Amino acid sequence: MADFLSQYSIQRWLEMCPQGYLEDTVYGHSPELKEPDIVVDNELLREESIRTTVQLVVGERCALAASSGLVNAAPDFPSKRFLATQTLDEARHVEICTRRLFDLGVKEEDLESTIDDFVNPNLVKFAEVLLEKVSDGDFIAGVVGQNIVLEGMAFSVFEMLEAVSKQGNPKFAETLSGTIADERRHVGFGENRIGSLIREHPERKADVEKMQAEMTYHMLATFSDSFRGNRAAVEETRAIAVAEGAEADTAEWHGTDLASASPEDMEAVLADTVLGEFKTRLNRIGLEYQSPPVPA
Amino acid sequence: MSEFNPHSLDEDEFLEEVHSVDFWFHAVDGYLRDRTYGRIEGASHPDLDDTDRDNLITTLCNYCIGETAALEASSGLISIAPNRHSKIFLATQVVDEARHLEVFLRRLRDLGVEDPESEISVRANPHLVAFKDRLMELVAGHDWDAAVFAQNVVLETMEYTAFRAHMSTADPATAEVLDGVVKDERRHLGFGENDLGRRLMAMPEKRQRLAEIRRELDNLVLATFEEVQDSLGADRSRRVDLGSEYLDAIERLGLT
Repeated sequence: MADFLSQYSIQRWLEMCPQGYLEDTVYGHSPELKEPDIVVDNELLREESIRTTVQLVVGERCALAASSGLVNAAPDFPSKRFLATQTLDEARHVEICTRRLFDLGVKEEDLESTIDDFVNPNLVKFAEVLLEKVSDGDFIAGVVGQNIVLEGMAFSVFEMLEAVSKQGNPKFAETLSGTIADERRHVGFGENRIGSLIREHPERKADVEKMQAEMTYHMLATFSDSFRGNRAAVEETRAIAVAEGAEADTAEWHGTDLASASPEDMEAVLADTVLGEFKTRLNRIGLEYQSPPVPA
Repeated sequence: MSEFNPHSLDEDEFLEEVHSVDFWFHAVDGYLRDRTYGRIEGASHPDLDDTDRDNLITTLCNYCIGETAALEASSGLISIAPNRHSKIFLATQVVDEARHLEVFLRRLRDLGVEDPESEISVRANPHLVAFKDRLMELVAGHDWDAAVFAQNVVLETMEYTAFRAHMSTADPATAEVLDGVVKDERRHLGFGENDLGRRLMAMPEKRQRLAEIRRELDNLVLATFEEVQDSLGADRSRRVDLGSEYLDAIERLGLT
């Protein structure tokens, strides 16, 4: 364990992150990049971009609250130290996603009301399940919920959004790229650290698996709302974006062309990818993936 | 081109700028880039004699207690911070405090301490441990004003005073490590002073409560200074008067 945890020193994090892939960026992207005019000027595109970004802000706020809340529950200094770096990573994600809302025209004084208006209530429930474990000081459940479930979901969502944005919105794609690099590190810690704790505390498996099923339920409901609930807006938005060059002509991701796929197909490829990752990663730490009921 | 001066910004822009992760990246880059675990790469320094080494181990063990308190308190404060700027600033402080702990633990290992955690519990000053417990009580009680005062004003002033005094007499390797830590502490102290100054201006009745907390914590800080210096065998007539320096620094802030 000591060898693996030594890979997560602050020194290494400084060299890899601020002095590495974030070097010369401003709020996560090259200083000269900005939101494409079409995204800012077209009301429908702007609203959809705000809606998407609000979900990211809410997810990252949850991750910030969870990682900082877990520092005190961590059983050893190397874990506290890793969670300290994760706390800063998540704060940076909150910051860059919030900054994107401002770039999309949201006024500072309207930030909280905009988030309240656009946030998906299922995502809020997802966060509540995790934060309850954190506030109970439950390190094992907290890390599984945060570093396997939440980060696993975020990782795939960011990858998907990056694939869609790469051609038409390089600023957003660059912002996501740095975030994905952070999330990869977080998921790695979760797998490595919790595996040994689960082996030491097999009696915790059932409770942690129950939490995973609950979080998965709310996650799938969030996906369902996002892709199907506003189908007309999504399709119109995509049509305008493709026509105006703000989205890729093709955007291949896990075998699906995101630029032409129906909302159902996009939801399916995202859900399959995330659940596939959950199964693999949970299995690695000695847990069995629990299927949630299918959201109505 | 003129140099960027954040103090030329209005209040909201100032907070947006100065309490950002981006600002932090640039701030620490200036003094940490060419250092590894707080040390200048390639620099070699002579070994210490046994007495100096043992005294330094005692001192560093107590620094680790202070930094653990700061790490746990700053991370605990994020969830009760009243606004997003404060949450973001505290996240940068969390990683600073974890780095301080990392570099002090590293220095302990350099000095031959194989199990720093055990050594820390053996050499812990009880007043400092009591301070940590009280700070964590304030954080757990979601008492934002009192906890920020205890952490970002009292604890940071105590550390700043001790580290600066120590830097002037420390061996070169320890002085290098302390140099980066002191620069961080100045930023943390600035946050506490700024946040509380603002809140006290809006709610002056809070001043009384902070004065009570201060009286309680001052005793623990002064007792810690005395006992640690006693344990190091320092001659009373030749000691740096850390207590007076600390009291003067707190008084100058004008928060109580």
